[in-house]
Amino acid sequence: MRQAALVLQKDLRVLVRSPLLLGVLIAYPLLVAGLVGLVAGYGSSKPRVALVDEDHLPQVVSIGGHQFRIQDAIDEVGKNVHLVRMDPVEARRALATGRVVATLTVPPGFLADLRSGLHSPSLVYQVTRGGISSRVTQQVQALVYGLNRQLQTAYVQTDLRYVQLIVTGGRATFAGRTYDVLGLARMEKLLQKLPPGAERDRIAEFARIAGVALAQTGSLLGATANPIGLERAHEDSRSSLLSAQVQSYALALTITFLALLLAAGAIASERDENAIGRLRRGLISMGELVSAKVARAAVVALVLGLAIALVFGLIVDAGGVAGGEPWQRLPLLAAGLLVAGAALGALGTLLGALARETRTASLVAVLVVMPVVFLGLVPREVVPVAGSLSDGLPFAHAVRYFSASLYDASPWKAVVRELVWLAGLGLVFGALARVATRRLLA
Amino acid sequence: MSDPVLRARGVARRFGSQVALEPTDVDVEASEALALIGPNGAGKSTLLALLAGALQPSAGAIERVGDVRVGWVPQRAAFYDRLTARENLELFARLEEEPDHAAVAAQLLARFEIPADRPAHTLSVGNRQRLNVALALLGDPRVLLLDEPTAALDPGQRRRLWETVTALRDEGGSVVFATQNLEELELYADRVAVLQRGLLTFVGPTADYRQFHAEEIFT
Repeated sequence: MRQAALVLQKDLRVLVRSPLLLGVLIAYPLLVAGLVGLVAGYGSSKPRVALVDEDHLPQVVSIGGHQFRIQDAIDEVGKNVHLVRMDPVEARRALATGRVVATLTVPPGFLADLRSGLHSPSLVYQVTRGGISSRVTQQVQALVYGLNRQLQTAYVQTDLRYVQLIVTGGRATFAGRTYDVLGLARMEKLLQKLPPGAERDRIAEFARIAGVALAQTGSLLGATANPIGLERAHEDSRSSLLSAQVQSYALALTITFLALLLAAGAIASERDENAIGRLRRGLISMGELVSAKVARAAVVALVLGLAIALVFGLIVDAGGVAGGEPWQRLPLLAAGLLVAGAALGALGTLLGALARETRTASLVAVLVVMPVVFLGLVPREVVPVAGSLSDGLPFAHAVRYFSASLYDASPWKAVVRELVWLAGLGLVFGALARVATRRLLA
Repeated sequence: MSDPVLRARGVARRFGSQVALEPTDVDVEASEALALIGPNGAGKSTLLALLAGALQPSAGAIERVGDVRVGWVPQRAAFYDRLTARENLELFARLEEEPDHAAVAAQLLARFEIPADRPAHTLSVGNRQRLNVALALLGDPRVLLLDEPTAALDPGQRRRLWETVTALRDEGGSVVFATQNLEELELYADRVAVLQRGLLTFVGPTADYRQFHAEEIFT
C-alpha cells in the first residue's frame, strides 16, 4: 500500500493547490442546503386566504355580554394565515387565479344566529386543490377552533350568570324581556315563613341541594367546554437551525457532494493527464489506485466534516443552548465521517472510472448526487420504494449515523448498524470501481 | 543477432469493434535501435504502449526477458499538471523505488534543463516533452520505448535526446522509437518495423527497408 499512499499524498497536494475548486465544492452543498431551507421556509410561509364578510360584521361584536373585537380575531389567525378582506366577486377571481389559496365567507345572518344562541352559524370555506390545501384547511380549522374557544368562554360566563340568578335571584333580561327571578336563596327565606310541614321541609331540602349542586356548575361547564387543555411549555431546547436533524443533513450533504465529486474527478483525471498508462506499468495496481482515491475522499470528508461539526458546536456553546453533547461525541462522529467518506468516495471512483473523462465524470457525479441525496430525504413511510433504494446508497446511512452519534442517548446500536452498512457499501462500490478502471485504459 | 530482451507474441489490441493492432510478433534485441514507422493510425503507439505494459493486449502476450526494466515516452505527455517538474520526477522516482529519489530527480532536471519548480501545466511544449522523456529514464531502464519523442523538441534538445538514446544502446540497452522523421530513422535505427493499418508488414535491417520498402510506406 506504499504506492497507494504516495498517490494519496499527490492527490491531497493537488487538491490543496486548487483552492477555488475546494471552495466551490464546500460552498455548493451549503448553498443547496440554504436553498432547500428557503423552499422549506416557503412551505411554512403564511398562505393568503380571502375573507369575505357578507354579514358586514361591526368592529366590535357583543355576545353574551362580552365584547369581541373582530380585528383581534383576524390578527390571531394572521399568525398562521394571511387574511385579506375581499368582496365576493374579487375573492372568487383570486381563488380561480391562485392569488389566494382559500376563501372564508361570513354569510348573511351569521352574527344574528350567533347572538341568538338558538342556531350554530357556519363560516363557508373554499380551498384550491394542491399541496398546501390540507395545511390551509388546518389553519382555518384552527381559526374556527380559536373563535369557538373564545365564544365558549363567553357563553359559559353568560350561562353562569343565569345559574347565579337561579341561586341568588334578581332581575334579568332574556330574549328582550326583563324578569324578576326569585332565586333559591330567597325561596328558602320565603319557605321559612310558611307553616311547618313535610311538604315545606321537602321543598326546602330540594332548594338546599339545588344550591349546592349549582355552585359546582362553573367548573363543570368549564370542563365540558374544554375537556383537554393544551399548554405551551417554556422552550429551552435547541432552535430548529441547530437541531440534530439539520446538523446531520448538513454534514451528510456536504461530504456527499465533496467525496463523490472529488473521487470521480480524481480517477478520471488520471486518464486525462495520461498518467494512468505510466502507473499501469507495474508502478501501482488498479486496486491500490482505487484505494488512494477512496482514501482521499475519506480524509477530505473527515477534515471538512469535523470543521462543520466544530462550528456547530461553537454556535451551540455560544448560544448556551441546552441539549446534545457535540464535544464528547466528536470521536464517534469522526469514525462515521471517515467510513461514510470512504463509501461515497468508492461510489465516486466508480462513476469517474465509468465516465473516463474528468468533465464527464464531474457532470455525472453532480447528476448522481441529487437523486442520491433526495432519495435519502424522502421519508420511508411516505414512499417505501425510495427508502429501499436509499438503503443501497451511502447518504441516508450517513445521516442516520451522524444523527445517532451526535444526539442519541444510546447511540451504539444505530451507530454499529449504519457503520456496517457504510462499510459494506464501500466495499461493493470499491470492487465495482476496481473492475471499471479497465475503461480508463481503453 | 543478439538475444531478445522484449518479445511480443501474437499480441493484438482492439478498442471496442475497432482493431488497432492485428496479432503481431516482434522481438526487441539487446544493443539495438528499432524504428517503428507507418502512417498515422497504423498502430505504432498501440504497439509501444503494449510493449511498455501501459495497455493490456486483447490477445497474445508481452514477454520481458529477465524482468528487464522498460522506460516509456508516450506521444502525449504523461504526468501531473498541478505538480512541478521536480515533484513529478520525485513522485515517479519513489514509485519506481529509486533509493535516492531527490537526487535522481535533481540529476534529470539538470540534464534536461527543465524548470524545476513551476507547475507542469505552465511549462512550454518543449519543456513538457523533456519532462516526459526524463520520467521515462527513472528506474534505470534497459529498454527505452519512445513514441515520436523529438516532435516538440528544438534541435539542441533533439541532439541531446539522441545522445542519451545512443549511449543507452551502446551500453547494451535497447531502444524502440516510433517516428515519422525518415532522417532520424536513417541516422539512428539498426532495424525497422513497418506497420500499416494495424498490420506488421516488414521487420528487418534499415538497409533492407531502404532498398525495398521506403517508397511504399507513405504513398
